[in-house]
Amino acid sequence: MFAGIFVLGLYEGMIRARVRTVIDTEVAHIQIHHPNFKDDYDPAFTIAGQAQVSGALRTVKDIKAVAYRSMTQGMLATATGSAGVQINGIIPDEENAVSSMKKKIIEGDELDLKKKNGILIGKKLADKMKLSIGNKLVLTFTDRENNITAGAFKVAGIYQTSNSPLDERNVFVNRATLNSYLLIGEACHEIAILLVNDTAVEGVKQSLQQRFPAYSIQTWRENSPETDLMVSTINQYSSIIIVIIMIALAFGIVNTMLMSVLERTREIGMLTALGMNRVKVFVLVLAETVILTLVGVPLGLLSAWITILYFSTAGIDISSFAGAAMSGFGFGSIIYPEFPIASLQTVMIIVVSTALISSLFPSMKAIKLQPADALRQ
Amino acid sequence: MKTVIDAHNISKTFNPETIPVLAVDKVHLHLERGEFTALVGPSGSGKTTLLNLIGGLDKPDTGNILINGVDITLLSANALIDFRLHNIGFVFQSFNLIPVLTAKENVELIMQLQHSKRASIEKRVRALFQEIGLEDKMQTRPAQLSGGQQQRVAVARALAPKPQFVLADEPTANLDSKSAANLLDIMAKLNQEENITFIFSTHDARVIERARRVITLVDGQIHADTAHVETNVAHEGFSTNK
Repeated sequence: MFAGIFVLGLYEGMIRARVRTVIDTEVAHIQIHHPNFKDDYDPAFTIAGQAQVSGALRTVKDIKAVAYRSMTQGMLATATGSAGVQINGIIPDEENAVSSMKKKIIEGDELDLKKKNGILIGKKLADKMKLSIGNKLVLTFTDRENNITAGAFKVAGIYQTSNSPLDERNVFVNRATLNSYLLIGEACHEIAILLVNDTAVEGVKQSLQQRFPAYSIQTWRENSPETDLMVSTINQYSSIIIVIIMIALAFGIVNTMLMSVLERTREIGMLTALGMNRVKVFVLVLAETVILTLVGVPLGLLSAWITILYFSTAGIDISSFAGAAMSGFGFGSIIYPEFPIASLQTVMIIVVSTALISSLFPSMKAIKLQPADALRQ
Repeated sequence: MKTVIDAHNISKTFNPETIPVLAVDKVHLHLERGEFTALVGPSGSGKTTLLNLIGGLDKPDTGNILINGVDITLLSANALIDFRLHNIGFVFQSFNLIPVLTAKENVELIMQLQHSKRASIEKRVRALFQEIGLEDKMQTRPAQLSGGQQQRVAVARALAPKPQFVLADEPTANLDSKSAANLLDIMAKLNQEENITFIFSTHDARVIERARRVITLVDGQIHADTAHVETNVAHEGFSTNK
């Protein structure tokens, strides 16, 4: 019971943490784009009626923060190498409110609007390109007229998230600077919207879609389909975990009850000799399993609850042995388990059923004992 | 006298497929109500096997065993268990009391299996503990009792369901001489005063001396029976503790 609940708690904690990271630091709740923009990130596909949209967003009470981003795909080059990147043009204050950009910076400073050529790069990219604060690099990309353009930037800060592939691919510059290279004026390519709470997502999306049918309006589930898949398959994964634990439990119970029967062969033989019928012997072994289960389930539940309660705030740091692997999949290296209330009833029913089914074999063994043979042991 | 046990031509072979051991060989046995009988013989002579066959704990390969006119060799496994519950009491060499139950609960258990009423269980159990002289030990667990006391509780347990007869397999083997004598006194008294039939398998000369009938087994066959020939078989052909 403890193992089942704790493992499910860990899994649920990981999934929830991933969802929070996706929403709070990566894609926000809702994003608005030109309907063709995401096909090949052509800088020409800006959000034309940005002012109109902006005015409308201010009237939606469920919206907590909005960030207007411009973006393009390009090449980052240094004296020693190059790498393909997504260049994001941002306004630091907006980005801090929507994706907590400031909190992600581990070295250097956030972007300064006054320093036009500052750039923020991810830790993984910095390591790969051997870049540090103050180093210069060149970004090459195409403008809205398909002319190749390039700009020199100086590393202002290095950020790190729990998603290392994202850190390797994304760089951030001032929006005004990027827009001037792209020749798109004050326009933007993406409006990222953070809501007050997660449950309002579908409602806000529907209402915005009705008002701006010309734009592509997508929720975090659409913008991060791998996370959506993870969330929607949580029950299946939980079932697999439960099945594995139940198999172990079944072996444990069969072993325990068989030992119990074997240790009491003489006792069972004596009871049969004196006149205890097979049904009663069967029920005796079964009842012992039920009692063990009834004692074990609440104890397991309680210990799992206490353990999860503790680690839900303290966290389980797995950075020393699995941090890089977890980061590769977009998970943080500190897991905060959550008590899996939704799965509790199912787990309890499965544990009790498994215990009863597992005790059938030892019970059958007990009733097959011949009293004369049993008493001789 | 009423016939309690009537066994005809019973045989039992162990390991018939591999190394056959003929434990009981064409035995005829007739016991009547109120007998105080000792089955004696050297180790491996078939005493315990014969007791198991009479008690319905094992089935003979050949022959019939009639208990009060019921042929127990024809009973199904479940019917045999029920028959044992109501007709046969057992006393084992190593007491075999349930360690987690008190002495009283050990005795009550059998009557509970018979679905006796609470009041009659209470009355019967108190009377039995009075009989075996352990009224003050009723709430004691077996581990806190001496070997002799445990065996007396085992006798009370055997008698609780008012069986037709009591089978006792080496009941004094694990007891010191004082406890053994005490146990024999109790069983002899119950035999004389309440006409309870006792059949012992034993090596113990003290038991043999107290028995009114001694049946000697050698190699699975009845070698001598004082019911037919008045001889002191206790010293014939095997050693005793005497």
